[in-house]
Amino acid sequence: MSVTIASDVGGTFTDVVLLGGDGTVRVAKTLTTPADPTEGLLRGVAQVIGDAGAAPADVTRFVHATTLATNVILERTGVPVAFVTTEGFRSMLALGRQARVEEDRYDLAYVQPDPPVPLALTYAVPERIGADGAVLRPLDEDAADAVARRIAADGVAAVAICLLHSYRNATHEERLAEIIAARLPAGVPVVTSAAVWPEIGEYERATTTLMSAYVGPVMASYLERLGARLAALGVDAPVHVMESAGGVLPAALAASRAVYTIESGPAAGVIAAARQGARHGLADLISFDMGGTTAKAGLVRGGRPGITHEFQVGGKGSFGGRRPGTGVPIKVPAIDLAEVGSGGGSIAWADAGTLRVGPRSAGADPGPACYGRGGTLPTVTDADLVLGYLAGFGEFALDAGRARAAIAEHVAGPLGVDVVEAAAAIHDIANAQMGAAVHVVTVRRGIDPRGFTLVALGGAAPTHAVRLAAGFGIARVLIPPQAGVGSAVGLLHADLAIERARTFLAPVNELTSCSASAGGLRDLADAFDALEDAARADLSATGDAEVTRSVGVRFVGQAHAFTVDLPPGPITPGTVQRAAEEFYKRYHESYGIDLRDPAELTTARVRVVLPAGEHAPPAPPGAPAGTGGARRVWLDGAFREVPVHDRAACAGEFAGPCVVTEPQCSLLVPPGWRGTVTAEGALLVEPDAGGEA
Amino acid sequence: MTDDRLTAEILRNALCVAAEEASIVVVRSAYSAFIVEGADAAAAILDARGRLVAHSLSTALIQCASLRSALPHLLKAHPAAAMRPGDVFVLNDVYQGGIHANDLLVFRPVFVDGAPAYFTGTLIHVADLSGLSAGGMASDATDVYLEGLQLPPVRIATADGLVDDMVAVLAANSRTPGKLVGDLRALIAGANVAARRLDEIIEAHTPAGLARGVEDYLAHTEARMRAGLAALPAGTGRGAYVLDDGHRIAVEVTSDGAGGLTVDFDGTDEQVPLPVNSGFSQTHGGVMYAVRCFVDPALPMNEGCFAPVDVKVPLGSLLHCTRPYPGGGRFGAVAAAEEAVLAAVTALRRAGGVAASGILQAFSISGVHRPWLHMAFDLGGSGARRDHDGADATGALFGGGRNIVPQVEPVEARLPVRVEEVALIPDSGGRGRTRGGLGTRTVLRMLEDARVDTRGDRLLRPPPGAAGGEPGRAGGYYRLRADGTREPLGTKATRQPLAAGEALVVETSGGGGYGAPAGRDPAAARRDAADGRTA
Repeated sequence: MSVTIASDVGGTFTDVVLLGGDGTVRVAKTLTTPADPTEGLLRGVAQVIGDAGAAPADVTRFVHATTLATNVILERTGVPVAFVTTEGFRSMLALGRQARVEEDRYDLAYVQPDPPVPLALTYAVPERIGADGAVLRPLDEDAADAVARRIAADGVAAVAICLLHSYRNATHEERLAEIIAARLPAGVPVVTSAAVWPEIGEYERATTTLMSAYVGPVMASYLERLGARLAALGVDAPVHVMESAGGVLPAALAASRAVYTIESGPAAGVIAAARQGARHGLADLISFDMGGTTAKAGLVRGGRPGITHEFQVGGKGSFGGRRPGTGVPIKVPAIDLAEVGSGGGSIAWADAGTLRVGPRSAGADPGPACYGRGGTLPTVTDADLVLGYLAGFGEFALDAGRARAAIAEHVAGPLGVDVVEAAAAIHDIANAQMGAAVHVVTVRRGIDPRGFTLVALGGAAPTHAVRLAAGFGIARVLIPPQAGVGSAVGLLHADLAIERARTFLAPVNELTSCSASAGGLRDLADAFDALEDAARADLSATGDAEVTRSVGVRFVGQAHAFTVDLPPGPITPGTVQRAAEEFYKRYHESYGIDLRDPAELTTARVRVVLPAGEHAPPAPPGAPAGTGGARRVWLDGAFREVPVHDRAACAGEFAGPCVVTEPQCSLLVPPGWRGTVTAEGALLVEPDAGGEA
Repeated sequence: MTDDRLTAEILRNALCVAAEEASIVVVRSAYSAFIVEGADAAAAILDARGRLVAHSLSTALIQCASLRSALPHLLKAHPAAAMRPGDVFVLNDVYQGGIHANDLLVFRPVFVDGAPAYFTGTLIHVADLSGLSAGGMASDATDVYLEGLQLPPVRIATADGLVDDMVAVLAANSRTPGKLVGDLRALIAGANVAARRLDEIIEAHTPAGLARGVEDYLAHTEARMRAGLAALPAGTGRGAYVLDDGHRIAVEVTSDGAGGLTVDFDGTDEQVPLPVNSGFSQTHGGVMYAVRCFVDPALPMNEGCFAPVDVKVPLGSLLHCTRPYPGGGRFGAVAAAEEAVLAAVTALRRAGGVAASGILQAFSISGVHRPWLHMAFDLGGSGARRDHDGADATGALFGGGRNIVPQVEPVEARLPVRVEEVALIPDSGGRGRTRGGLGTRTVLRMLEDARVDTRGDRLLRPPPGAAGGEPGRAGGYYRLRADGTREPLGTKATRQPLAAGEALVVETSGGGGYGAPAGRDPAAARRDAADGRTA
């Protein structure tokens, strides 16, 4: 028997899913063990293997999503890194590009964030490449060697190099890396910016390179430890790690390109939603992934998740989005999503007479008050329990008494309202915060969410999803099988994939006019070929692969480009012209400006995908004993007795109001909505005809 | 009750998001050299009474104050009853809420029951709109007409599209007509997007619901603002700041102890026939910035913040210029006003002095033989605070950050200049128990013949320290000859030649130090030395 295991380590829960060769699915939800995440993970792995009656050796693929890279950057727990740049620009990282936005601007006590590398570990070497790639000043090798000796004396664990215009000409970076590596102990990574992400914009390229060096060794040792623990259990399948754009990377590549994994976990949820949508013939989806610590919303249009090439780690949130200029910019592609620091574990508190929820989370330890693990502060989960929306989370029995006590002491008392009223307000505010994430990926981008289907993933999502949808006039909510561990399910089917890109600046008319130099087109074709070769080498892909080529296009004189796909086949004046036409069209759609000014190409991108192959769709899990019965649930200002259905026993249609429970989550169907069990085992919740939604 | 509160929260967010979306649309579709590589656009939502309801996140307060100040002038020139759906207006008049020729303000009314009930507004520094120097930074403009084309509030678009005659006049008055028209389109697109969002909000919440929500939002903000200001003791504090040219800004801040504040600039020097004056809107924005520093920084910026603060600025003074006195170089005067208010409020609180900050230093470089333009600014170091060192090279007093400073590679890819250095200047922060933030040095080598305009302050009189702290190092502008000779350019130089092979050096001032330098923590001194912040 051949089985695949997928695992998603979140801030609160670690989800593990096993897919058997026959399509059977086993699920484990364990508490995340922050000190060593492999501990909680291995507990889950052992559990699903045991439940499935499989042998560890049966596991042929192990797919993993981890927030390790993000956490290392946010918590600044990476390895000591030295940074080397062009003479004259040693202050590059210290100056940064932090925008002072919102409250920072008025804060007399504003303290500049420390640069990601202390100035004392930042070096500059005499050399210079011009914007056209020409060598203006040769690399001073003696000076470079002197820097190498000082770096060796610093005892750093990695080195990042970013020289000006290396995206055009990487020879200085490569030679400098050799000189430095020669002075360092074997195995100390020396990372060059042209190898990591050769795009114009020295600061972003530098931080991307730096973060790769900073996180890489931590990721490498984590994956080594994970590999060893799996091997000790008898699992010797290759480990694949989810990357930010929705593919997976071999473990070795994930370690050397750690920045590619920053959005590892969140990306899995969007991929899962896209897959569920495809099964149901739904192409326009909003993935809504709500766990214990955060909630994320992503957009799938025409079956494809949106991809962004500019995001920030640790950026200051604004309406659930990430504001450019406030965090550490990372240039590698990532699934475009909005995240709010609000989940089931978010703590509710009274702040000068108003009720606030989050951003602090009770996490896994101590967890919400109702877990009875020492938490005494009220959380969204506690509120949901008091309102009757939840009964228990799998093996976690929930203690409603503790939930009530926590809300009474910290929210209801200080605000002078009763406990249920306070709980309802906490639930509503959490919904409003989730709404901010959905808003960012839809309304804020001029996209009307009403034609979309909301896909609920994560332990807390089904409890909130339908009301969230109602708030946006969304008339369809899909709860996939195993929704409570939906991200991990998404990993089961992820393809091996990587993207490579480089700056390619050229006016469109030079590539398309009759007098166009064939040279320009050949340069573009060569750039694509080189990128494809490099991407195939990353994945050790020799044979069939899906290759997507795209270009950045913008108006000459503007700074922001749109990414436009090119058709397969040769690069011709016609293909470039069609890309320009597509750009004009999208510019008009986005900004309402119908403009045909001269455009230019900015970037060449190649994405290589090795499809994982179709698996049998997961069969519904073995049904545990149903709870059934009825429960008092707070709806529209009063408690009402509503039916409780066990999801495993659900068939056909069910009318709201009701609650549908399963081991990892609990679906609230408010009055005016009704659910259907689809042929694929998902629950589809829609308003009654003429209903309130 | 919970439902109401929730609705209010949703509504408030929707308004802020609408403004934010407008600013993003402007940034992404503009051509101005100022905007494309970094700086932000301002966008706001106001009501027909001229009250500021919401604005985009990164908007500098002086820009936000400009949009707020200008709307009543627009309504005077074009009564609401004469406005029709689809109308869009533009202006730049410094005496009617504007800033200077190159800062275009665009407004679009949003109709409820057939009459304008709200306005959306956008503002950016556009590419070029006539005047003595390309880019609009001529420091020898002795009157407003030399600064650029003057635009009273005029209709620039209707439901039928752009008013072509107006656009033709504007284009004919720009050295870079294509970019100017592009910027205008971007501003209109931003105002249109916000208007569309507002229409959706009105549809979702009903006109009455929105009106009630706006009232509650502004009232709630005002209550919080007053509560914050009530922490200031009753009484009067005085402050002053002297500009490089010797002109003096004086202010008295009087607190009634119950949340009301009067800020009176009586005693400030008279306006001068050079672009160092400030229009009223800019001074007002500066005052609000300084006052906001003493209340909860997380307060939303809307009319509720303005309401408790009464600002009195003598007409015809340096901070409230009248026709034809120019206002384009206002940020030096506004920063001085901010510094004076910070000092006055600090005196009122009997909380020691305020170490001053280096400010932004603007410059523009334009081609001699063909039209190209680079406009940018570098930022000075912040003054040290009592408990911590000043921030290096940030947009203190202006509400921006480094993000507005372009990166080197895109500039070199676009323009005939080579950037040779962008670096913190060691020892530029004023010494003290806590150290002032550092200034920066930028060296731009010309690859073609060019001309440069500069516009800085606190270069002849560097930012003073406080409580025994030393002043920051004075910055300046310099021409670096091909042979390495360095010559000072004026702090407000105009169209100075820079031959191919010569370089412009821009050095920003460091912030003042706080407290006696002898009191500096030895560990902090060692860290500064290791980082190269001190030599």
